[in-house]
Amino acid sequence: MIELLAQTGLNALYAAAYMSLVAVGLVLIFGVMGVINFAHGELFMMGAYTVVALYTDFQMPYVLVVGLAVMFVGALGIFMEWSMFRPLRDNPLGGLVASIGFLMILQAAVSMGFGVRMEHVPPVTQEVIEFSDRVRLPVQRLVVILAAVVLLAALWAFLKKTRFGWALRASAQDREAAALQGISIRQTAQIAMFIGAGLAGVAGALTAPLISVNPHMGHSVIIAAFIVIIVGGIGSLEGAVIAAVIYAFVHTFVTTFYDGVVADIVGLSLMLLVLVVKPTGLFGTADRA
Amino acid sequence: MLLEMRDVSVSYGKVSALRNLTLKVPEGGIVTIIGGNGAGKSTTLRAMSGLSKLSAGEIHFDGERIDHLPPDRIVARGIAHVPEGRRIFPDLTVEENLRTGAFLRRDAGAVEADLRKVYERFPRLRERRVQLAKTMSGGEQQMLAIGRALMSKPRLLLMDEPSMGLAPVIVEEIARIVEEINAEGVPVVLVEQNAELALDLADYAYVLETGDLALEGPAEELHDNEHVRAAYLGV
Repeated sequence: MIELLAQTGLNALYAAAYMSLVAVGLVLIFGVMGVINFAHGELFMMGAYTVVALYTDFQMPYVLVVGLAVMFVGALGIFMEWSMFRPLRDNPLGGLVASIGFLMILQAAVSMGFGVRMEHVPPVTQEVIEFSDRVRLPVQRLVVILAAVVLLAALWAFLKKTRFGWALRASAQDREAAALQGISIRQTAQIAMFIGAGLAGVAGALTAPLISVNPHMGHSVIIAAFIVIIVGGIGSLEGAVIAAVIYAFVHTFVTTFYDGVVADIVGLSLMLLVLVVKPTGLFGTADRA
Repeated sequence: MLLEMRDVSVSYGKVSALRNLTLKVPEGGIVTIIGGNGAGKSTTLRAMSGLSKLSAGEIHFDGERIDHLPPDRIVARGIAHVPEGRRIFPDLTVEENLRTGAFLRRDAGAVEADLRKVYERFPRLRERRVQLAKTMSGGEQQMLAIGRALMSKPRLLLMDEPSMGLAPVIVEEIARIVEEINAEGVPVVLVEQNAELALDLADYAYVLETGDLALEGPAEELHDNEHVRAAYLGV
């Protein structure tokens, strides 16, 4: 029993790791630009397909491919800012609708290029850390966990210690007031989109060898990410990370001990409960919600 | 003229907020814009600082046209705007708020000196410098907003309703501070609903009514003007 709990805990940790990468990016984009990026799950998907194209098909080194996935998906983010969110800056609902359109374009483009089938990404490493017979942690999963910790720590340092990070935090709290201090709205929006999209891309690229890669894989990820940012408090980066951990643990344990459908129900109920008890989310403040 | 607006109009969607306003801000001195709700006072300041785009007209600052520039470029030229409702950064500390005001400055030493000056002017802010800005009272937040604007070392200070929602004794303090800043050589454009206060402080005044210029003149003259007395001074 203890072994099963330990194994499930490791699984949950892995889920929490990639979930927080996706959710933090979503929160960052919402905070700085005030727009809900519905295409965020598809940015995750694009990260995974970068691996399919360059690693599976072209057999480029995996580490290089992950780096390229960050750059490519980050660049997609900048393109979204330029083509949709900037012209629709004063119209957050319009930005949301445009991102739904972009989501469909990405799905269609990938379906045309790769087909609607599931892609098999060959494992990068077969190595497994065995704590005991029944408690095992594949190294690829460990990589995802470590990458999430390193990237989130780097993001934290960037936000707290650098000039651009400072600008991002100020913009997230009050965009117009930030502009009046000399902070460029355009520049902070591009930085936020690059980082937010890049984090989704790296999550997709790192998990690609572990999950089934298909054009509609963004769907389940975006729903989980929305639950996470609502539970954490929209606009709170710390909240997103903590909520991702809570959600991943609850979801993984319920999936293991009951089944996946019950886990989805429990996850959504958790969100409802938070909305009823504390409508601003666990770490949100009233004026942001 | 330090700043000149020529025939400026601003619309929000189909709603026209300001029509054909011509306004001049000389070096030194305080210019005030008074008027009721929806008169276009805030819109005038927003046009100057680039937050609202013009539908017609031109704005010149220091001899150069600035109305096509984004707000951050206008700040760089030396216009600081203390916005309506203070708009401090709630989750930054007092000191972080102040330092954000100096975002574009590269002269680190002078920034530290200016920070000390702001703390001397507002001792309350020094006491609370590590506190989150949202935990402060309305008057303290207004002081923070003014301090933040001063941290950019402005050549022109725009102030939107600094007295709004504050107790009379705090309003007096704010008025004293506005005079002090002006006496140190920074011209001020003051937007106020409190016409009595504004006409007391200012040298020259513009009266806006539903987006149109109704009157302009030296503040003392407007203070004695029949229409102004009846409509804005309540006498």
